[in-house]
Amino acid sequence: MPNIRYANMSHWKAIPYRRIENFRDFYYEDRTNTAYYSDWDTILKYQSALGFDGIEIAPWDLADILPLFGSPEEFSAFAKDRGVEVIGMFHGAHASHAADHFDEAVRAGREAVDTIVRFGGTYMNTCPTDNFYGNGPLSREAVKQCARTINEIGRYATDRGVRIGLHNEFFCAINLPNHREFIESTDPKLVHYCIDTAQVAIMGEDLLTFYSDYHDRISTFHLKDTASVRQPDAVRYAQDPEITDDGTRWFWEPGLGELDLKGLYRLLKQHQFKGWMSVEYDGSPDLLASMALTRYHLDKELRPIYD
Amino acid sequence: MNKDAIAISLDLINRHYQEPNRNRYEGKYFWEELYPLIRASGFRGIEIPYEPVWQFGGRSGVPMNRYCINTKYGSATAYREVLRQSGIDRVTGVTFDPNLFMRNDNLGFFFGASGHFAGEALAHAADLGADYFAISPSAYYGRMAHYHPDLESSMDDVVGRETELLGGLAAKAAEAGVDLVLRNEFWSLFRGERVLTLLGALPDSVKLDIDTATLTIAGIAPADFIAAHVGRIGCVHLTDTDFVDTTDNWKSSNPEFPAERATQVFRDPGTGSVDLGGIVQLLDRLGYDGPIVCSARQTRDPFRALLRIRAFLNQLPN
Repeated sequence: MPNIRYANMSHWKAIPYRRIENFRDFYYEDRTNTAYYSDWDTILKYQSALGFDGIEIAPWDLADILPLFGSPEEFSAFAKDRGVEVIGMFHGAHASHAADHFDEAVRAGREAVDTIVRFGGTYMNTCPTDNFYGNGPLSREAVKQCARTINEIGRYATDRGVRIGLHNEFFCAINLPNHREFIESTDPKLVHYCIDTAQVAIMGEDLLTFYSDYHDRISTFHLKDTASVRQPDAVRYAQDPEITDDGTRWFWEPGLGELDLKGLYRLLKQHQFKGWMSVEYDGSPDLLASMALTRYHLDKELRPIYD
Repeated sequence: MNKDAIAISLDLINRHYQEPNRNRYEGKYFWEELYPLIRASGFRGIEIPYEPVWQFGGRSGVPMNRYCINTKYGSATAYREVLRQSGIDRVTGVTFDPNLFMRNDNLGFFFGASGHFAGEALAHAADLGADYFAISPSAYYGRMAHYHPDLESSMDDVVGRETELLGGLAAKAAEAGVDLVLRNEFWSLFRGERVLTLLGALPDSVKLDIDTATLTIAGIAPADFIAAHVGRIGCVHLTDTDFVDTTDNWKSSNPEFPAERATQVFRDPGTGSVDLGGIVQLLDRLGYDGPIVCSARQTRDPFRALLRIRAFLNQLPN
């Protein structure tokens, strides 16, 4: 068993079919590549063929996936038949910094954990709260409240075999001034950390320093590159920062940005990281191409360092 | 027939399903390039499918709801000015379907969220100066049945709550000067002529949205339906299809993508088997002078679809 197993965070958006039974006929309807991106059977085969043995579910897809497959268990069985296992799900802990939202945030977190368990997953990568815009800057009490909420969700998750990994977005209300304060306010036995390599770097953390400082808290990664490290407050605190108006990409495939991912892999080796690593392609114009480019970079540049 | 008044629906852009370059559709730059292309293809009016989903993330370039438009342009008025400078004179209509909110076993959540956001969408339609607000009074039948296996036995309750919701919207629409029109998609609880029962329980100000493809798939001849109800039509969607539902696909969880045959349901107007030319002439003969919208829902090439539709419209008599 390798030290690191690779998964993809699912950014495929809605996939309308489980399986296209008549692929050739479908193709001849319009002679475009639509068929190649329309069914889970094909998507999962891409994953399997490119050596990504895990998939992390996107919660915004659940309303489509569940009626399409019937249940989380049926989706997982379908994926497993194609060599892919569900490792977990992303979760946004909406308004967890607000004391009057504590019960609702914990209830939603517990429901997400229950869903992950049904998929057979063991990771829940969790954005700590909402965007900075409209919420920040958070008071010290609000940061503590956010930690209380996440600790409570983390307790429930831990009891059910799920590791909750904090996943900070560069535009989150938990931001550079309170990022470490927040992490240190959470219980290390119950709450871990998922390093999204690009997000933390755009926010202003130095990736290698951050990993060195918190390596014993790291449950998993969202691996991606960026050419936009240390963005200013005006960007991170803006109303609509995630998708730029002019098409500028925040995120790139590993090797196509400026992050020292080889340095990260040397640190992974030093600290003997073991477990799943998700690769994330949000913002990619072609997820299959991104997946293949990533596999090449992993095999030729990163995995020879450690794994 | 004043073909200049025929609008195009922005549903020709596939925002929800995967395809290479789909990510462009979340960027402001894409839409601001699209508006002049719409005008260049001969359309002066657009229809906006109102979609709350874009309200929940930092992706407001998609101009599908009030939040996004206010985020990027400040107001509906400023957005209309951007459209005007692109050669688009008006937002002819706004549509709304509540599928997003059919996601659990709580009907209270479904009707609460649907009612709230439909109210938002209606007010936004008024701000945009739209002629009509077209609402789908049901989520996908199959999705509803997935989360509510007792759907058939609780139908009276569902119809009652929907009627109450629409009654409230009808009053708001009348006040706002916007026509409330009912869509009856082939996948709906109120498909085909079943929409008439719902309509009968609502004020006369509420009208029908004629969607030619969806009527055809539901087994209703659109020309006959139009002739029978012309006095209560508030909007016409010229949509096309070749699809014949032989397997009760309409009851499936994702009915616009039939699992049995894996084919698309809708065709670009003029490329399917619906007699759209005949329907346009019928509307003319019947004296219908309300909004008409072309919809290339599910098109796989929106720019080709724009030109295909214009080529089709060019063949119709003036």
